[in-house]
Amino acid sequence: METHYIVSMSPHLRGAHSIERMMRTFLIGLIPAAVMALYLFGIRSLIIMVLAMATAVIVETVIEHLTTQPLTYKDCHAILIGFVLALLLPSSVPWWIPVVGAGVAIILGKMVFGGLGNYPFNPPLVAWVVVKLSWPERMSLFFEPHTHSQALTPLMALKEDPSLFYSYEMRDLFLGNTPGPLGTVCALAVLIGALFILYRGVIRWHIPLAFCGGVALFAAILHGINPDIYPSVIFHLLSGGLLLGAFFLAPEPVTSPVTPTGMLLFGFLAGILTMIIRMWGAYPDGTLYAILIMNAATPLFNYLKPKEYGRVKRA
Amino acid sequence: MKGQIFLHPIWYTLLTEEHTTMALFAKGITFSKKVTTLTFHRIDTPLPKRVILPLKQYIGEASQPVVTKGDKVTTGQLIAAAPTETSLPLHATIAGTVKDITEQPDYKGTPTLSIIIEGDGTDTWIEAPKEEKEQKEISSLAPSEILKRIHAAGLITTQLVPVPLTTDLVPIDQPKTHLIDGQRITKKIDTLIITALDREPFLGVNRYLAGKDNKELADGIAALKIITGAHSVRFVVDTHYPPATQLQELVAADEEETTTLISLNGRRFPIGLAIPLIKAALGREVPLPYGHPRDVGVALYDMNTAIAVGKAVSTQLPQVDSLITVGGGAMPKQGIVTVRIGTSIGDVIASLGGLSKDPAKIIIGGPMTGMAHYDLTTPITKETDGLFALTHDEIQLSGDYRQCINCGLCVKVCPVNLLPGVLSLYCAKDKFDMAEAEGLFHCIECGCCDYVCPSRRPMVHLFRHAKHQLMEP
Repeated sequence: METHYIVSMSPHLRGAHSIERMMRTFLIGLIPAAVMALYLFGIRSLIIMVLAMATAVIVETVIEHLTTQPLTYKDCHAILIGFVLALLLPSSVPWWIPVVGAGVAIILGKMVFGGLGNYPFNPPLVAWVVVKLSWPERMSLFFEPHTHSQALTPLMALKEDPSLFYSYEMRDLFLGNTPGPLGTVCALAVLIGALFILYRGVIRWHIPLAFCGGVALFAAILHGINPDIYPSVIFHLLSGGLLLGAFFLAPEPVTSPVTPTGMLLFGFLAGILTMIIRMWGAYPDGTLYAILIMNAATPLFNYLKPKEYGRVKRA
Repeated sequence: MKGQIFLHPIWYTLLTEEHTTMALFAKGITFSKKVTTLTFHRIDTPLPKRVILPLKQYIGEASQPVVTKGDKVTTGQLIAAAPTETSLPLHATIAGTVKDITEQPDYKGTPTLSIIIEGDGTDTWIEAPKEEKEQKEISSLAPSEILKRIHAAGLITTQLVPVPLTTDLVPIDQPKTHLIDGQRITKKIDTLIITALDREPFLGVNRYLAGKDNKELADGIAALKIITGAHSVRFVVDTHYPPATQLQELVAADEEETTTLISLNGRRFPIGLAIPLIKAALGREVPLPYGHPRDVGVALYDMNTAIAVGKAVSTQLPQVDSLITVGGGAMPKQGIVTVRIGTSIGDVIASLGGLSKDPAKIIIGGPMTGMAHYDLTTPITKETDGLFALTHDEIQLSGDYRQCINCGLCVKVCPVNLLPGVLSLYCAKDKFDMAEAEGLFHCIECGCCDYVCPSRRPMVHLFRHAKHQLMEP
């Protein structure tokens, strides 16, 4: 039998990168935060995560089936959306909030724009904003870890009375012994996952560094002006959804810029915006809103591209 | 160490060699040691029974056959003359009979008039030219005489595109034009770069030659220096493969320190391609598009060409064989193979022992920039530098590629600072003019963006399609 050879354009080799690998890396990077949520808030957190992930996958598959598109559940992106959304919810939410949220994330956040690669806003954040605006009191009800007693998150306490933040130990913030959304309370777990995804190369250092840098700079200036009412840099970096936002939400590939300058500016401005909302806005934590607003500006940052090699100046 | 890379002293103290390369040229991909370790077994193949010699193996005009069907020819005999400057003479590479002069698909698949020679099994050479007996020193030869000998030997260079070496070299006594700031002005060539890096980390001919002592190398460099008028010579070698003592002696023997040795990390790709190489070795940027190394005062040739020039000038014999790298999972042997020009790739593979595993792709050139072939009668031409047979496990096809997810990995690796993802979107949607405005013609088609793309988008394919559409109105 005659052998047939494949003919195609160069290059004939390809690297190990794939969408599946990228999404799986993000999922693995979020596992430490999920394990800490399970430890701190008990079985409720597991139910929330499973509901959100299952809903996301089912809704996506149904939509793709109805619109006769190829099924994409294998690329793990729907699971990732559900997982991220669950980590942004408080442990007190009723079972239907993750379900509605995941549905909104897939339908309004992803599929109406044409699926992976086309949406302008981070889908879990879109869903988070929808449920937050629809059921504000249910979304602001946080439990003390290991108990079912209602408590304020550090940033909510700060909004109530600026002097309250002195009652928080930095060690508790770092290890996660404070009330808050499931995945954001333990800074250590988020950082472990962040190191993993940085090592695997699915995100680059520019956005997280610039984001934290923007927040730190702003906080340092305020703290320098009046340390009595403005908390320290460490408090700002460790509280709220900042680290999760800086490492997992802001560098999300589809909705973040691609050029080095663009990424640095994107992160820095998101950090500044976070601090403005935290200090003078209506909401205790501005991280997620800041990322959403900066997502809208992402196409503009892509204009900040490096000079093409060998571009000749025209006289 | 004398003759190392020249930079500001502060770089020298702060950074190792590897880092200096990175600082000057941080883009591209670094391949792992495992896949880029080269085997330098020199394999000699038997004389082919039949060769196919296309009359045009370069970009330029085809040469005119001077033999007819049925003529007896000997090795090295002129079989096609070069009437114009942009054509090259063609020589028989085996002794035998001209079987036919007919159209054959060349390595690009274009039907090209080719001379087919049926060998008689012997390797009878033509008489060496008479002038050879009164051997003259290279330095005493006039530039026009050297150029004439290079042209007569039929040499080509493949640094940017395959062109006759004589059209790429501009003689010292002729006015040179260069593209600077959008207009052509005269600029003197000051540096001759002789590179031992191959176009890809997988190809090894130049690295192999750099590790061997060649008596023709010094002649070739002297000849190239005379023609181009360059006063300094830079050897670019691979950090991972030590250069031969001959190269180090050439560097050490130079009192005025105009000859230097630059070590670059050869596992990086596309550092071996001409345009990134000049950036990495000298820090100069060739103007793009349509720029040439001479626009920044550089003449860039590889080891193989320099040695061929030395041979052509000193012996005045034509080039009949070429060195190619063979490799890939389905290839029975890995190494450097000497083949006669015109041997079909099927014959080369058969003489190595036939394809071992289930082959998926046969590639002329390297796996990153080479061309896949389906026809095993395609001949090896003067520009061929590699022959690879890849298995199904080694290749990955684009297949149903996905939407660009804007991850920016291609931006990270692109050696000419483009946004390949954005360009590929324009090209896929037939917005060719917008792609051109975004710098499509700066693309050197290295394939790094394809290699890293998680959506497996066939970037180079889309870019070539767009360029083709734009160039053919």
